[in-house]
Amino acid sequence: MATIESIQKAYVDYVLTEGTEPKSVYIFAKKNKMTEAEFYNYFGSFKALEQNIWAEIAIKTLVEIKGQEVWAQYTAREKALSYFYAFFELLKQQRSFAVYSFQKQPRGLTTPPVFAQLKDIFESFCVEILNEGIESGELSDRKFFSKRYKDALWVQFGFVLHFWIKDSSAGFEKTDEAIEKGVNVTFDLFQRSPIDNLFEYGKFLAKNGGIKESMGFGSF
Amino acid sequence: MSEHTPKEQNSIPTSKVERSAKFVKTGFKIGGNYIKHYSKKLFNPGMDKSELNEDNASDIYESLSELKGSALKVAQMLSMDKNLLPQAYTDKFSQSQYNAPPLSGPLIVQTFKKYFGKTPDKIFDKFNVRSSNAASIGQVHQAELNGKLLAVKIQYPGVGDSISSDLKLVKPFAFRMLGMSEKELDIYMKEVEERLLEETDYELEVRRSIEFSTACAGLDNVVFPTYYPELSSKRIITMDWLEGKHLREFLQTKPSQKLRNEIGQALWDFYNFQQHELRAVHADPHPGNFMITPEGKLGIIDFGCIKEMPEDFYYPFFSLTSTGLMDNKEETIKAFRQLGMIHQNDSPGQIEFYYNMYRQMISLFAKPYITDHFDFGKAGFFDELYGFGEKVSKMPEFKQARGVKHFIYVNRTNFGLYNILHELKAEVKTDTFKPHVVLEY
Repeated sequence: MATIESIQKAYVDYVLTEGTEPKSVYIFAKKNKMTEAEFYNYFGSFKALEQNIWAEIAIKTLVEIKGQEVWAQYTAREKALSYFYAFFELLKQQRSFAVYSFQKQPRGLTTPPVFAQLKDIFESFCVEILNEGIESGELSDRKFFSKRYKDALWVQFGFVLHFWIKDSSAGFEKTDEAIEKGVNVTFDLFQRSPIDNLFEYGKFLAKNGGIKESMGFGSF
Repeated sequence: MSEHTPKEQNSIPTSKVERSAKFVKTGFKIGGNYIKHYSKKLFNPGMDKSELNEDNASDIYESLSELKGSALKVAQMLSMDKNLLPQAYTDKFSQSQYNAPPLSGPLIVQTFKKYFGKTPDKIFDKFNVRSSNAASIGQVHQAELNGKLLAVKIQYPGVGDSISSDLKLVKPFAFRMLGMSEKELDIYMKEVEERLLEETDYELEVRRSIEFSTACAGLDNVVFPTYYPELSSKRIITMDWLEGKHLREFLQTKPSQKLRNEIGQALWDFYNFQQHELRAVHADPHPGNFMITPEGKLGIIDFGCIKEMPEDFYYPFFSLTSTGLMDNKEETIKAFRQLGMIHQNDSPGQIEFYYNMYRQMISLFAKPYITDHFDFGKAGFFDELYGFGEKVSKMPEFKQARGVKHFIYVNRTNFGLYNILHELKAEVKTDTFKPHVVLEY
């Protein structure tokens, strides 16, 4: 009896051996001695199957990091870092598939469909930790912008994924560096910063007598 | 760090915190340089990176010149002025930028997962994800296992790569600053790079730590932590947590002369036993690498930097510390030649000049060895050293590279040692482990 795992495994084995996806579900099913119906029980298409592999890694990542003893002590920043590290550590076990699947995707600004499920999981995780961070005062609650924080993290994630695909350093150490530096910078921007103060100051000046008059000591 | 007088300052920041603060500042500046570079590039896309590199290098150098320990200052006296810059790098690259941002908790966890397949809380009974202090190219965490307190040192990722690329970046600038050719300085730079890269190999460090602490176990008043190879890896070292005070803190407790002498003696024995019996020496006498335990013993941590001395360096150099050889001009010149201090094509006038200068220098250096005990607390000896170094550094004859590469680390070690002993104001017996000497070449 075919299971999600066995079908996924057979599929990954197929694409990595052949370098391309099977011509049809029929051929794939026949080769793996199952009925087409068995395949469709779980997946609507090969694309859905690939989506699921990516999503599973994200779910595994969450189970793994939330199970760590230190989790409760982590700040939002550390939770995000932890997600990134654990995700790429797990992804390492399926690097060949990840590279194959990633490189098949069209380049562009929109999220490739194969990452759709992964993105949903990732974003709801981000919203969860970002809200925690805003509540605790770790992150700055900015009008309009704080709703977009999660998008910034998704862009960051896409960047790191891209970096990792091309990374050839031993143990993917460079990716670790990219995560450490990148995620920290992103969170620095989420925190209350001089920009906020500058903005507030501008608002204050605008409200209390025009900016022009407040500049300098008088008229020259 | 606010009221700084850049190049000349009276005290050197020694605590790790102070040092890292200094480098955080440099980090900011360098970040600023990048911003400057890219904003200029907006208007002038054809601009290359050379200006950026130069800005970076000069900021790095500026913070270096503030930081180079007094050990380095003294080393000028062996006319190693030229080789000094690489030494400054040594300090910079080992202490500096890697100190700046502490590793995040998740990265620590990640490092453990990568090397042991388990998170630290599964390996230790207790593990503190907040680091307790910075080590040279990593940071130290406290952990507990089976009731034992442990120190776990974790290396920053990518340090090895950065060392090579940073050295490359600063190199051309250094050549220009010193007005010497790349070929001349290259041999010293290589030596430094080799040592620095060795420091990033934690597996090697564990092996050496065990080797050296076993070999030195017989020395009085010296203690070493136990190392745990099974809990160590390429990027992680686990050892016993040594309870104790760092040198500065220890001195603040106003220890008695007797205690200071004992610690000083332990240091002297530790270094000279290695130099003369093992011919390989812990070449990083940074005060941060020593602890004074509550029992008044000297605790030694960090065997990351080991300098091995080949025979063709050891014998000519240390034989010069005995009056027997120094009194024989012909043999002394032979030794100087072997050490690269007098060159093949030097004129008779030059030979005479360098002979006289180096003779003075080495007899200064060898002073503690000549008598059977030496008081490092007396200022006179150090004034003489500094004065001589100052004089030599102004002489045009010393504007070229002289001396074999081994001097870099051997000087760093010995002057570092002298300096710590001076800070301790210790009087030590200097005939405990004597140099092996040959009287003829």
